[in-house]
Amino acid sequence: MKTNFKKDDSDSSVTELNNDQPKKDLTQEEFEEYISKSGAKGSFMIYRSDKKDEELGIDEF
Amino acid sequence: MTLQESIEQIMKKKQYESFDEWVCNFALNLSNIWKESSANELTNSTNFSKNLPAIVIGRGPSINTHNHLKLLAESDYKGNIICCDGKLIDALKAGVTPSKFPNFFVTTIDPIPEVEQHYDDQIVNDFGPKIKGIFTVLTNPNVVNRARKAGIKIHWLHSLFDNNEGKKSFNQISRLIVRAKNHTNGLPAIQTGGNVGTSSWFIGWKILKCSTIALIGINHGWEESDSWETILSHGHNYDVSKGIDRNSSTFEKLFKKIYNPDFNCTCILDPLFQFYSMGFKEFISRSPDWLTTINATEGGSIFGDRIQSMKFEIFLKKYTN
Repeated sequence: MKTNFKKDDSDSSVTELNNDQPKKDLTQEEFEEYISKSGAKGSFMIYRSDKKDEELGIDEF
Repeated sequence: MTLQESIEQIMKKKQYESFDEWVCNFALNLSNIWKESSANELTNSTNFSKNLPAIVIGRGPSINTHNHLKLLAESDYKGNIICCDGKLIDALKAGVTPSKFPNFFVTTIDPIPEVEQHYDDQIVNDFGPKIKGIFTVLTNPNVVNRARKAGIKIHWLHSLFDNNEGKKSFNQISRLIVRAKNHTNGLPAIQTGGNVGTSSWFIGWKILKCSTIALIGINHGWEESDSWETILSHGHNYDVSKGIDRNSSTFEKLFKKIYNPDFNCTCILDPLFQFYSMGFKEFISRSPDWLTTINATEGGSIFGDRIQSMKFEIFLKKYTN
């Protein structure tokens, strides 16, 4: 079985996931193509609405 | 634009590439939707108790690493089982069956035809009549037909995706069509979070009304021992590496290694798992106080606000007595 990352036991920080941008060495088209090929096509996205309660579902729709 | 926003934008665009297919799926399901049950019928079913916990079973790698299905099959757990379709056959083969756990539900959210394979096994036929299936109205009809053929009782719900676009959205149009016959109160509509694992947690909360939901096999991330082919392709094992330099700073951002302090382990998140993980954790943090979410996956990226992490063995001891 392949190992991808060298183990770093001193790594105790939790990486923040929401403040990073794709860098310029991957073009937008390539990034889009990658996301599409890796399973985005045909899946639902996260539902967002101005009505925040509605994002959590509707009992009788 | 953040990575999260960038992925959301791409997914929205890709989502609409499948729109025609989803409309066809709905049209072909419609006569059955009108005849069959709403998922809301499960809420007041006398066959299960909302006072019992639910276990959501996903197909993340930890479930095999820690033999969770074997542990569950050998336990005296009495609560609800919500099995993601992708792990159904494995669960049944491991002895996690509706004969042992009568409150057994299977969930299908993805509208793609490939999901049929998750139901295409003799063991699904053997246990199908005792399984309660929960399907979005946009499920590929061949998938529902295969489940129906196995004797699984079908329960329908809507998956929210464009309701925010108003009266002419497909969510709204399909809502009116479904209500036109038999389902006068409509069907429940859920947030999918983009994947069946998050959807199953929502079903435990919003449909089954369980006050405790445990997760196993919900990693939303890869293990360090997983191959690059698996990680780069989000588990599809084909070459998607064009344009990706594994030594670039971009790569480190797209394929993050994070530390899970609750289980003292690391995992790798591809962009889609970053998207799913962020969303799921957000929704858990927004859930009501009466709902307890226990992550017993023993790995992965789901930890933080409002999430209790616990070894599955301990969960079973605690919730079996």
